[in-house]
Amino acid sequence: MTRVLDQQSRYWLLVMPALLLMTVFYVYPLIQVLWISVTEPEPGLGNYAELFTSGFLHKIWWTTTRICTLTTILTVVLGYIVAFAMAHVRERQMTAMMFCILLTFWLSVLIRAFAWVMLLRTNGMINDLLMAIGLTDEPLRLSRNEFGVVVGMVHFMLPLAILPIYANLRGISPSYVSAARGLGASARQAFLGVYLPLSKPGIISATMLVFVFSLGFFITPAILGGGKVVMISEYIRVAFEETLLWGKATMLATSLLFAVLLVLAVVGRFVDLRKVFGAT
Amino acid sequence: MSTKKPSIKGTLYEKDLYADEELFQMDCAAIARERLERGEIDRRTFLKALGLIGMLPAVATLGRDAHAAAGEVVVVNWGGPAVDAYMKAFGEPFEKATGMKVVIDGTGPLGSKIRAMVEAKNVTWDVCDTGAGTTLVLAKAGVIEPIDYTIVDRTKVLPEFAFEHGVVNYMFSFILAYNKKTNAKIPQNWRDFWNLAEFPGKRTMRKQPNGMMESCMLAAGRSLDKVYPIDIPLAISKFKEIKDEVIIWGSGSQSQQLFREQEVVMGNIWHTRANLLRRDMGGDVDWTWNEGCVAPGMWNVPIGNPAGKDNAMKFIASAQDPDQQIELFKAMGNGPANPAAAPKVPEDMRAFDPGQPENLAMQVPFNGKWYEEDYGNGKTNDQVSRELWLEAQAS
Repeated sequence: MTRVLDQQSRYWLLVMPALLLMTVFYVYPLIQVLWISVTEPEPGLGNYAELFTSGFLHKIWWTTTRICTLTTILTVVLGYIVAFAMAHVRERQMTAMMFCILLTFWLSVLIRAFAWVMLLRTNGMINDLLMAIGLTDEPLRLSRNEFGVVVGMVHFMLPLAILPIYANLRGISPSYVSAARGLGASARQAFLGVYLPLSKPGIISATMLVFVFSLGFFITPAILGGGKVVMISEYIRVAFEETLLWGKATMLATSLLFAVLLVLAVVGRFVDLRKVFGAT
Repeated sequence: MSTKKPSIKGTLYEKDLYADEELFQMDCAAIARERLERGEIDRRTFLKALGLIGMLPAVATLGRDAHAAAGEVVVVNWGGPAVDAYMKAFGEPFEKATGMKVVIDGTGPLGSKIRAMVEAKNVTWDVCDTGAGTTLVLAKAGVIEPIDYTIVDRTKVLPEFAFEHGVVNYMFSFILAYNKKTNAKIPQNWRDFWNLAEFPGKRTMRKQPNGMMESCMLAAGRSLDKVYPIDIPLAISKFKEIKDEVIIWGSGSQSQQLFREQEVVMGNIWHTRANLLRRDMGGDVDWTWNEGCVAPGMWNVPIGNPAGKDNAMKFIASAQDPDQQIELFKAMGNGPANPAAAPKVPEDMRAFDPGQPENLAMQVPFNGKWYEEDYGNGKTNDQVSRELWLEAQAS
């Protein structure tokens, strides 16, 4: 018994440095942020009241939610397809695919956003192509609007969906599907009844990862949205750096944090989060 | 106190976007860097220029977070070529005259940093190179000193640009730029800018309201001398009229890019960028001073600055010298703030100097006083216009 305790406290010792670091550089500033949000410009919950009264804030939250949801759905569906392919091709092809995915992952978000502008703009490659093959007579508005923002965000987020789903799919033994097929299930039934449910943890962790990441986006919307797609983090930046309304900025930051926690809590009611994050 | 903590993972990749040229003074450094690379200016001029705009950067990283020693004035600008240029233009003459040492720090005096510093009572900066917008915001937050006009000479600046809490260090303009090829006619003023029927195509305007709302008022039919007081709701509704055809620019290079890629046919942009466009686009892009908005770059002094308020004011006064300002103008393009410099500017450069009397006459000077006034709800006109301007952009 004592030996177990000893071992446990030794583990704690190992965790301590990281924990301390987090407390000093993460938890403490976070508390400061919370503090400012209820003390500036005057003590009270005045800043938070704006969440309910300001039509502009409603609009921004709605834009943020809409874009993040759309991005998440598209990313996870596309990501699943790629991950599925990766889990079923030969080792060499898989390596090549992985390399391509990581390559885009390492490119700066700025470069990717501008690359998309080049492709999507009115006289860009895609519009030129569409007009050349006669699909459209005049250029479509593909960038400087929400469409462009979602394209850019999905592209940015794809590796974040592919990697966890792929890790999950790799762990599913092919013999399950074979067994289902052997027992008379059609390919479709085997996929929907056996394979897909087994890949649920991967899908859920990808969904959460992508959604939470998306909430904090502001560069891609700023560039591909032509300045007209304002999401919550952009507004926080403005309140913090430009208008110096720190009470408002910290209130929004805190709300964003709670929004993320809320998402986790809701998801946690349906699935075992520890499993999703690979803690078990 | 960490003011720019990258808390959300997304910032890992996104942090660079808003970096460099969002403010005019950062943009000047960026332009000078480009010119140096093209070999249009030599390294000495470049460094000189950087020094002049308070942006001694690369070299300046050495002086980063400089802590003031006794008898030392720390001047903060936006780094890059501006560090050396400010040193040569303003620093060295001041050292010679007073025996005090000048340190140029290229960290970039963001408003949020100044506020954090003053509130933490850990001020390491004496004089900051900011803009009119930042000055207003910082004054409202109560973290910068009023300018001491017994030391700084009011007669050496345009009266509009002697703010209570900041004083002009150089001038630049928001002007109407247009592509001659993609417009059937040449737009003459902001009414033409708003005329989508005769001048079809996208336009670009800036993310911040300064210099933009002025053009809205002129488009609404006000004359140059009647732009202020700005009717904010009217300005916003004017903007909304053409909003669908407007792409927003955040940094100077972005505004230039929009013209280069022919994404826009005209725009309300900085005159320095418009100059580059005229040159780069083989004359396709041109611009006019007509109905431009001339705005000041600003010197600010944080409350509790280490060298003491008086020394900071003395530095500002020393930098009012017209010859020093012309040196900066030659290298970086920011117009001299002292009206006495205008006749000394070489003739071939006068067309680009917002401060030449004939150019000034065509423009409306940015009115800081109006922006500082109370809107009526405890917020200043500046705060209200920033919020409503952003709100109007959001589709």
